[in-house]
Amino acid sequence: MYKLKLIIRYLVRRRITHFAVLTVALCVFIVVVVMTVMNGLVEEFKQKNHDFVGDCVVGTKSLVGFPYYEELMQALEATACVEAVSPVVKNYALLRPQYGGDRYVELLGIDPVRHSRVTNFAQTLYYRAADPAKAFVPVYEPNALGCVLGIDLALWRDARSEYTFDATPQRAAFSLTCFPLNARGAPAMAGTTVVSSQQFYYSDNSHSGIARVDDSTVYIPLDQAQSLCMAGERKRITAVHIRFRAGAELYGGCEQVRRLWSQFRQARADAPDGRLLDTVTVESWKEHRRAYIAPMEKEETLMSVMFSLVGITTVFIVFVVFYVIVSHKTKDIGVLKSVGASSASVMGLFSGFAFVVGLLGSVAGIAAGWLFLAYINRIEDWLYSRFGFQLWDRTIYAIGEIPHEVEFHVLAVIAFCAIVACLIGALVPAWGAARLRPVETLHGSRS
Amino acid sequence: MGERPVILKAERLHKSYRMGATRVSVLKGVDLAVEQGQFVAVIGASGSGKSTLLHLLGGLDRPNEGTVSFDGQDLNRMRSWELNRFRNEMVGFVFQFYHLLDELDVLENVFLPTMVSRGIVGWLATRKAARERALKLLEQLGLQDRARHKPYQLSGGERQRVAIGRALMNEPRLLLADEPTGNLDSTTGNGILKVLERLHQAGQTIVMVTHDERVARRAQRVITLADGKVKT
Repeated sequence: MYKLKLIIRYLVRRRITHFAVLTVALCVFIVVVVMTVMNGLVEEFKQKNHDFVGDCVVGTKSLVGFPYYEELMQALEATACVEAVSPVVKNYALLRPQYGGDRYVELLGIDPVRHSRVTNFAQTLYYRAADPAKAFVPVYEPNALGCVLGIDLALWRDARSEYTFDATPQRAAFSLTCFPLNARGAPAMAGTTVVSSQQFYYSDNSHSGIARVDDSTVYIPLDQAQSLCMAGERKRITAVHIRFRAGAELYGGCEQVRRLWSQFRQARADAPDGRLLDTVTVESWKEHRRAYIAPMEKEETLMSVMFSLVGITTVFIVFVVFYVIVSHKTKDIGVLKSVGASSASVMGLFSGFAFVVGLLGSVAGIAAGWLFLAYINRIEDWLYSRFGFQLWDRTIYAIGEIPHEVEFHVLAVIAFCAIVACLIGALVPAWGAARLRPVETLHGSRS
Repeated sequence: MGERPVILKAERLHKSYRMGATRVSVLKGVDLAVEQGQFVAVIGASGSGKSTLLHLLGGLDRPNEGTVSFDGQDLNRMRSWELNRFRNEMVGFVFQFYHLLDELDVLENVFLPTMVSRGIVGWLATRKAARERALKLLEQLGLQDRARHKPYQLSGGERQRVAIGRALMNEPRLLLADEPTGNLDSTTGNGILKVLERLHQAGQTIVMVTHDERVARRAQRVITLADGKVKT
């Protein structure tokens, strides 16, 4: 009982204890805020990539593509775990606006309805979100060929990195130029005209939230992409995107697709152009987008390492504070032992004290972090309006607002780590206190 | 000696300390017996080993050689927890510099030994009785109005009386006082000695260490310590 009483009194009366609590609170505050924002950014980025790709991709990195995809899609649709499939042609093209200038773009040939069942394509549209079947129908020229531009290809951002939309898409024509490849991977009409060009009208824009996609992707109808980019007897695509049914496990589903693909490929090994199937792989969305997600995850890992250093700093600060406290309290330790307190009890006193310091620091840090996160977007708005300073450049991070959703399990882990850091920091001083001989501490020291 | 039972006995006590490369012998074979209810003063010059002897008698330290037995029990043979219990229940210490805990008020300082011996549940069960006992002690020591004061708000004499109250809280059979008047003026010191005399009259066994002959004469029996040995 005396321990509880002394812990409370040490907390209230010792100013150095207040600094220890403040230090822990500051460390916890920083970790809560940065981890929440960083986790939020990474999770949001992953989710956007997941939404962009679907659950699983059967595809090839070769621009030549692979044939027999219609039979493959039929077989996939007959698989229990598959909800929907979407054929995709991916290639590179030169985008040339009507009034000059050009730039390279990534071309995605899709069936907008099928693709919307697999990905969030429909939700990324601005004008045709409710009716993706008309995604490639320009409202101002319904009979013309339409294309959907990545939003950063179609619109400018204002000073606050926000887009300004017109009521209807502006009339604009583009020519897309590709190098069509035959089934052998050679330019289709080498020696004569080695390129295919086609004019498209701007029908809508797509905002996936992935800066790299929104800045360089043009969506066109699948059949147009096939005729622009591919030549040969059999129609080819570069990927089939798959959405699994609700409740289906990602890796289990991918494994089922892999087995199906293996059988499918064996059955067509000797078919014409069957060798093109050799380059096809089955990947989950995480594997497929690994090159984009991994750097973000690496940043998150680096952040965790940096916070481990913050944790070590906390341990050291708590160690110093407790060392000072124990040094000032040797007389108390002697008195306690003279009235019968055991070494374990003295150690318990200082360990308990460290626990309370960690607990209070954690609670204060979490409360402050929570409050800060609740207002982080308002604070950023204020900083922007007052100083023109934007914490996260939206053109890079492609976020609507700064993530601020606090996860309770993360808070619990942070608080636990803070308390453990305090206990570790106090361990040596507490052990030293417990080992003090009362004779050494009481002899000659003044009250 | 002989009428009352011997409560405390020290035989051939040796104690030395290492000071750098050399070892300093403080006690060189001290023999001592204290009867129950006796008021014994141990007198000696500074550095004669008085405080060391007191610490050994109270189980705060262990001798290099020799034995200390309390009520027939050898303190050397006690395990750590038994020694803690012995200090908590059987002995009360009064120090020259009072050694009160600044974070606790007077009342809390007095019932500290009871708090130390009990967990939260045990304390809650006995808190009322402990408070009453502590208040009664403060009343006997003339400090009833100071119960809620902090040690730094008291005079030296008052602090020492609080320390006596703390030492008596668990009704110990032995009270050990290390220069209890050493830090007080003569009037205040006299007050403290009167308190000790009163306790002695009530049957309390007391061993007091002092360097002051006038103080020592207030005890029932005086033992002189010189060169690490008992002279008389």
